[in-house]
Amino acid sequence: MNLKLLTIGWMSWLVVGLVQAAEAPRLFEAQLDNGLQIVVKQDQRAPVVVHQMWYRVGANYEPQGVTGVSHMLEHMMFKGTETMEPGAFSRRVSQMGGRENAFTSSNFTAYFQIVGKQHLAEVMQMESDRMANLKLSEAQFQPERDVVIQERLWAVEDRPSSKLFEQFKATAFLSSPERNPVIGWMADIKNYQLADLQDWYDRWYAPNNATLVVVGDVDPHEVVELAKQTYGQYPARDIIQPRLQPEIQQQGMRRIELKDATPVPSIILGFHVPSLVTADSADEVYALSVLASVLDGDSGRLTQEMVREQQIASSIGTFYRANGRLGSQFFFSAQPQAGVDIEQLEAELIKQIERIKTEPMSQQALNRVLAQAEAQYVYNQDSVQAQAMSIGMMVSVGLPADTMETWVDNLRQVTPAQLQAVAKKYLQTDNMTVGILRPSGETNRRPTAKPDFGGRSH
Amino acid sequence: MKKSIYVIAFVFGLTSWSLQASVDIQTWTTSKGTKVLFVEAPELPMIDIELKFDAGSARDNRQPGLASFTANMIGTQTAQLTEQAIADGFNDLGAQFGGDVNRDAASFSLRSLTRADLLNPALDLFEQVINQAAFSETIFQRDRQRLIQGLQQAEEQPARVAQRAFWQGLYGEHAYAHPVSGTVESVDSLNIKDLEAFKQRYYVAQNAQIAMVGAITRQQAEKLAEQLTAAMPKGEKPAALAQPKPLTQAKNEAKNEPKTEVIDFQAAQTQYFAGQLAVERGHPDYYALFLGNHLLGGSGFASLLVEEVREKRGLVYSVYSYFAPMRVAGPWIVGLSTANSQAMQADEVVKQTLQGFMKDFDEQKLADIKSNLIGGWPLRMDSNSKILGYISMIGFYDLPLDYLDAFPRQIEQLSKAEVLAAWQRHINPDQLFTLMVGQPE
Repeated sequence: MNLKLLTIGWMSWLVVGLVQAAEAPRLFEAQLDNGLQIVVKQDQRAPVVVHQMWYRVGANYEPQGVTGVSHMLEHMMFKGTETMEPGAFSRRVSQMGGRENAFTSSNFTAYFQIVGKQHLAEVMQMESDRMANLKLSEAQFQPERDVVIQERLWAVEDRPSSKLFEQFKATAFLSSPERNPVIGWMADIKNYQLADLQDWYDRWYAPNNATLVVVGDVDPHEVVELAKQTYGQYPARDIIQPRLQPEIQQQGMRRIELKDATPVPSIILGFHVPSLVTADSADEVYALSVLASVLDGDSGRLTQEMVREQQIASSIGTFYRANGRLGSQFFFSAQPQAGVDIEQLEAELIKQIERIKTEPMSQQALNRVLAQAEAQYVYNQDSVQAQAMSIGMMVSVGLPADTMETWVDNLRQVTPAQLQAVAKKYLQTDNMTVGILRPSGETNRRPTAKPDFGGRSH
Repeated sequence: MKKSIYVIAFVFGLTSWSLQASVDIQTWTTSKGTKVLFVEAPELPMIDIELKFDAGSARDNRQPGLASFTANMIGTQTAQLTEQAIADGFNDLGAQFGGDVNRDAASFSLRSLTRADLLNPALDLFEQVINQAAFSETIFQRDRQRLIQGLQQAEEQPARVAQRAFWQGLYGEHAYAHPVSGTVESVDSLNIKDLEAFKQRYYVAQNAQIAMVGAITRQQAEKLAEQLTAAMPKGEKPAALAQPKPLTQAKNEAKNEPKTEVIDFQAAQTQYFAGQLAVERGHPDYYALFLGNHLLGGSGFASLLVEEVREKRGLVYSVYSYFAPMRVAGPWIVGLSTANSQAMQADEVVKQTLQGFMKDFDEQKLADIKSNLIGGWPLRMDSNSKILGYISMIGFYDLPLDYLDAFPRQIEQLSKAEVLAAWQRHINPDQLFTLMVGQPE
């Protein structure tokens, strides 16, 4: 093992063909008569299985006034059914030694358990029970609403950067429900009625609006058989999709500022771009994805020039998510170095964005992104949960289950010219939203600590 | 992962069964004296490598932030390579390089595919960034500014203020007291010579450990470990850390009440911690303490704290408790955050729940929580990265190699009386240190 450091070009050339070398994972797909979609992936490394139920409903399905209701309903799904006491599902999974939880996003709501494979049938039985037989009550709802209020205080109210992002989204998206915060606006949370939750449950929780994803040491045919016995007993229902509320055409820059007690400002720039769901041509999505990776990270041009050379940013990154049901944004976020003002940072960032359009990226930079994507695909298989996630989040917005299986091959087709083309088309100032977090000059710290008052605690 | 599957009959005559995954840990010492732990995992064509030094912030020695800043400089330059060349080098290979510092250790990790034409150059680069690290004054000045900026930001973030103040309050003068990343003032006063001296003293073979999990053979693993340490100075182990002193001198001793500290802070929620010093890694009571804590606050919805504070009263989104056993006595901590107006109520419920638990708890709940731990044991080892974490811990804290098999067996045998007795020995509700950051009412 005494190889000298190889030249970069040679190394990049070597990694092509990597995925073919790794064992090809197989996806097994099926659909029940009631419309339930099923995707199974075998992974026999451990006697463990992850079971996930994905519903096609999330914050961007919600009407104004009840934002966050998908998330509130997710909490209530742990509060019992006609035949199970509140919390009994969780207790049972705990006794099995399993882990379970749920998560809500703009595009979907999902529930999962990770258990020893011998417990799969039982968790499928319990999960299918709450798909159809949830029991909602005021007694369970009121304290759980308080929990969600605390969750919002914790996740957003005391975190200026979260608050900025929430308000940024509501500025970038004006007419589309993509603007909704996943957890919901505080006033909406406080105003939920039990009937709102019942309506939302009745409207969306049906087998024909759901995907079952199972990854682990299982036989796919057995999983389908179990699904028939459990989820299969509930009939399909009419699902009425929300009316279309497309985002209006942006005609000029939008700006928002948030002042808060922070010593360091920060900035987000976002541009409306298509996703795999909304794009006329998927090629643009792959190009945007490669572009985000080329610019981002410790090899990226932005860090190289703005953090290391010019020293005007203390951190900088780009981000693009390709699977938005209602489109997507291409984000840049940055913090200035001490002594650099935020306007100067913004101006330099805009210059960098202009350069993307005029100076092509090197093939070497593209190869680097491919090498990372190919390796990441293998690393991802170290976790059953991560494998199941990468299936569910695609299927839940209507994309093929094997979207991530073909992902790297699609990225490989992208050329430097395509990166320039998508940059020219989408990264325009008239299509840009700017969000700035600006120090208010105040501090959260109070001048002197109060005297010890331990006596009050007992 | 080489796994043999066997079955343990469950205690109390329950019908539950448990699949126990056994991990085959191989260990040896390199010619330079570095301890190596290795698990062969042929299933995926990848490897995780961690190089760990006893060089955490407990070694800062009156210069808080020194260990952390030193580790940060690793990977920024070598005798031959610039920062950009290092980043490009790893990325071109699809390899991931990382660093992490806590109170006990500084760790550097490499994740790579195992194809020789990728792994060999990735290893060369990994070896080079550590053993031939060169600290540049320009990068040092730049990163010091960035670190200070981050620390200034932390001073306005209630959760981080609370975290820092809690360890300070709990550990007083001990080396665990100060924040791992230091303070604005301490980082500002560091200079590049301090960092170089720290690296020279602590980044040495006798003070290092290598842990590996991946698709290579024992023979390859041995070669690899030799390669990583060949150019490393031999050096020597540092002196043992001092034992921390428990907080027996509560501030308001006169009133014979436990110590509560409030930091007045503008925020929607009060950040709350309560706890005390507990045990070091390897302490024989750890099994009983861990099992009890799993019931009290360590198992999410199955725990008493979540039931009392969240489910019954809706006071919090999250409440938890944990033991953090370390080289010397680590803390036991309860944490939560709640609206200022509910903070005193939450404090009361936490303490009542603790006192009730320490008096007695339901046998059935103990059985359920044992079932959770034992049944869930294979889930703790279902990926290479999780196994790496465990073998690194086993090696670093000199735990027995069969630790992962012994743990569920120990848990299985514990009775309620033994759990309660261990808690009585180590946790004294009258000696808790409580910290609230916010405007608690």
